[in-house]
Amino acid sequence: MTQFDEQAAQGLYEKNLITENQFQEIKEYRSLNIFSLNTELKLLLSISVLLFTSGIGILIYDNIDSVGHIALLSILFVLICGCFYYCFKNSKGFQRTEATTESHFLEYIVLTANVLTCIFIGYLQFQYKAFGTHYGLATLVPTIVSFVCAYYFDNKSVLTIAVTGLAAYIGFSVTPQDIFNSSNNFYDNQSLSYSAIALGVLLIVWTIYSSKINLKTHFALVYLTFALHIISVVSISNMVGDEFTWMLFALFLAGSSVYFYKISHQLKAISLYVFMIVYAYIGINIFLFRVFEHVDFGDIWVLFIMILPAYFIGSIVLFIKLIKNFNKEIAE
Amino acid sequence: MIIHDKNLLNNLALVEEADSLENAGFISKEQKKIIKNELPSFKVQNNILVRLGFFLLGSFLYSSICSFISLIALSGEESFFKICCFLFAGVGIAGAEFLAKNKYYRHGLDDAFILGILLNVGGAVVILTEDFETGLTPAVFVSIASFLTYKRYLHLPSMFAFCMASSAVLFFGMFEIGDIGKTILPFIAMLVSAGFYFFTKSRIKNLTEVYYYSGLSLANSFCLVLFYLSCNYLVVRELSAALLGNEILPGQDIPFAYFFYAFTFIVPVLYLIQALKTKDRILLWISFAAIAFTIFTIRFYYSVLPIELALTLGGLIMFGIAFFSIQKLKNKESGLTFKPDRINNSNVFLNAETLIVASSLGMKPEVKTDSPMDFGGGGFSGGGSTGNY
Repeated sequence: MTQFDEQAAQGLYEKNLITENQFQEIKEYRSLNIFSLNTELKLLLSISVLLFTSGIGILIYDNIDSVGHIALLSILFVLICGCFYYCFKNSKGFQRTEATTESHFLEYIVLTANVLTCIFIGYLQFQYKAFGTHYGLATLVPTIVSFVCAYYFDNKSVLTIAVTGLAAYIGFSVTPQDIFNSSNNFYDNQSLSYSAIALGVLLIVWTIYSSKINLKTHFALVYLTFALHIISVVSISNMVGDEFTWMLFALFLAGSSVYFYKISHQLKAISLYVFMIVYAYIGINIFLFRVFEHVDFGDIWVLFIMILPAYFIGSIVLFIKLIKNFNKEIAE
Repeated sequence: MIIHDKNLLNNLALVEEADSLENAGFISKEQKKIIKNELPSFKVQNNILVRLGFFLLGSFLYSSICSFISLIALSGEESFFKICCFLFAGVGIAGAEFLAKNKYYRHGLDDAFILGILLNVGGAVVILTEDFETGLTPAVFVSIASFLTYKRYLHLPSMFAFCMASSAVLFFGMFEIGDIGKTILPFIAMLVSAGFYFFTKSRIKNLTEVYYYSGLSLANSFCLVLFYLSCNYLVVRELSAALLGNEILPGQDIPFAYFFYAFTFIVPVLYLIQALKTKDRILLWISFAAIAFTIFTIRFYYSVLPIELALTLGGLIMFGIAFFSIQKLKNKESGLTFKPDRINNSNVFLNAETLIVASSLGMKPEVKTDSPMDFGGGGFSGGGSTGNY
C-alpha cells in the first residue's frame, strides 16, 4: 500500500492541509520502512499460553489416577512458583493506576501462573476434597486469587477470568460462547436471574466506587462490558417468559439502557454504546410484541406487513441519528 | 461505470490518511478536523460493530419490502413465484442506487442491499432453470452480477463474492468434464490461481486509481489462499474420496502423494519468507493461517503425539519462537522490528485478545450432579477439561 500512502500524504501537502515540516517528518518516518511484528508476536505469545495451559489441564485430568498424585502436584507447584517468581521480579509492585512494565512477557507469564494456580486448586479439590463439600468455595478461591493477580499485576486478561469465576460462583456462565446458550437457563430460573442482575449491579457499583477512590480506573470498561451483557441478556430472556414478572425485567432493561447510554458517552466507548442500542431495540420490540399479544391479528395482519417497511426505515433513521450524535460528542 | 463521484473517492483516501497520521501523532486533532471539513466525503462507518448493526437493519428493511411486494402480488398471479426473485433483485438495485446517490459508502446499509442483489440473482437463476443437478449456471450468473456490482459500487464484499463464484464456476466446470476433470482439478485450480495471482499483482503495480486498490488486493490474497488449498494434501485426499469415490486403503496413498505432501509443507514457508521479505502484512497472516492448516493436516492423519502433549509442547515451542524473535527484534529501529508502528498499528487484534482468553479460559459453573464424584469434570481447570479442543 506504500505507493498510495505516500501519494495521500503528498496530496494533503499539495492541498495545504499539512505543513511542510509535517510532510518532511512523515516522509522521513516512512523511509525507515518499518514493518512491525508487535501485534503478531504478542498474539503468538497469548496463543502459546492458551495451548500450554490447556495441554497441562488435559494432561493432569487424564493422568489423575495413574501417575503419583504427589509427583503431579509438586511439578505443578514448581511451575507455578517459577512463574510467580518471574512475575514478582519483573513487576513494579502494586500501583493504583495503569502500570507499565519493561518486560514484554510479564503479561503472559502472569496469565500462565494464574491459570496454573486455578488448575492446582481444582486438582486439590478433586483429589483431596480440600474444601470438603463446599463446592462453591472451590470456585471462589481461584476467583479471589485471580482478582488479586489482576489488581497486583494490572492484567486485564486475568481480570476477565476472575469475573467469569465470580459468575460461575453464582451459578451461570458468562464466557462469550455460553452467555446466549440455553445452558444458563435464565428462562425458567427466576432466582438465578435475580442473582445475575444483582451481580451486574454490583459490578457497576464497584466501577463507580473505584473511580471515586481512583483505583485502576482503566478496568472500568471490562467490568461495564460484563455488566451490560449480563443485565441485558438476563432481562431479555426473562421478558419472553410467561411469568407476570416480565414487566419488572423490562424495567431493569430500561434502567440499564439509560445508565449505559450515559456511561458510554463518558468513557467514549462505542462498543458499549452499540450493544446498549441493540439490546434496547430488541427489548422495545419484545415490549411492543407483548403489548399487542392480546390483540386479534386475524384482520389486520395485512396492514401490519404494510407498516413494517416504514417501521424499519424509521428505526434506521433513528439509529443513524444516534450514531452521528455519539460520534460528534466523543470527537469533542 | 462507477456510480460514486471520483473526487469523493480520492478525498476518502486522503481523509483516511489523515486519520492514520493523527493516530500516529504527526498531525493534531484540530488539523484533522479541518481536513475533514475541507474534504467532503462519504457517509462511512469505520467501526465494524456499527457497520454490522446497520447491515442487519438494512437486511430487515430489505426483507420487509420484499414481503410487502409478495403480499400484493400473491393475491394476483400464480406465476409470481417465477419472477419474484427478479423483482427482489430489482428492489436491491433500486435501494443500492438510492443509497449510493446519497453518498452512503461502506456504511452497512448499502452492503445489505448489494449482497441482496447477488443472493436474489442466484435464486432467480435456480428457479428459472429448475436445474438442481449442477451449480454451474447460477455460479456463472452470480459471478457476472458480483463483478458488475463491484465495478459499479466499488463494493468490497462483492469482490469476495466474485472470487468465490468464479472459483465455483471453475470447480463445477471441471465436474462437467467428468472423471478426468475431477482428477486434474487440483492442478488446474493451482495453475489458475497462480495465473490470476500474477495478473492481479501486475494490475496493482500499474494502478493509478487508489479506490481500486483494496478490491484488487482482496482478489490477490484470495488467489494465494486458493493456491495453497488447491494442492493441500488434506483437501486433495478428502475431495478425491468424496468426488471420485476413491477409498484409500491402509498402506496405500493417493497418486502423487509426495508432491502434495511437499506442497503442503513448502508453500506456507515460502509465503512466510516472502511476507517478511516484501513486508506484506496480509501475506504474513495468510502464511500463519497456512501453517496452522498444515499442522492440522498432519494431525488429521497421523496422531504423532497425544493431544495433551501436542498442546503443551506446541505452546512451549511457540513461546520459544516468540521469545527469541522478540529478543532479536526489540532493539531495532527500522525495517523489521518489534516496536509498534506509529502509522499502521493494528490494535484490533490485541483488543480481541481478552475476548479469546475469556472464551477459552473462563470459568464455568460446575455441573450440578447428584454424585459429588462427578464434580470437577467441567470445572475450573481452565480450557483444560472443558472440551473446547
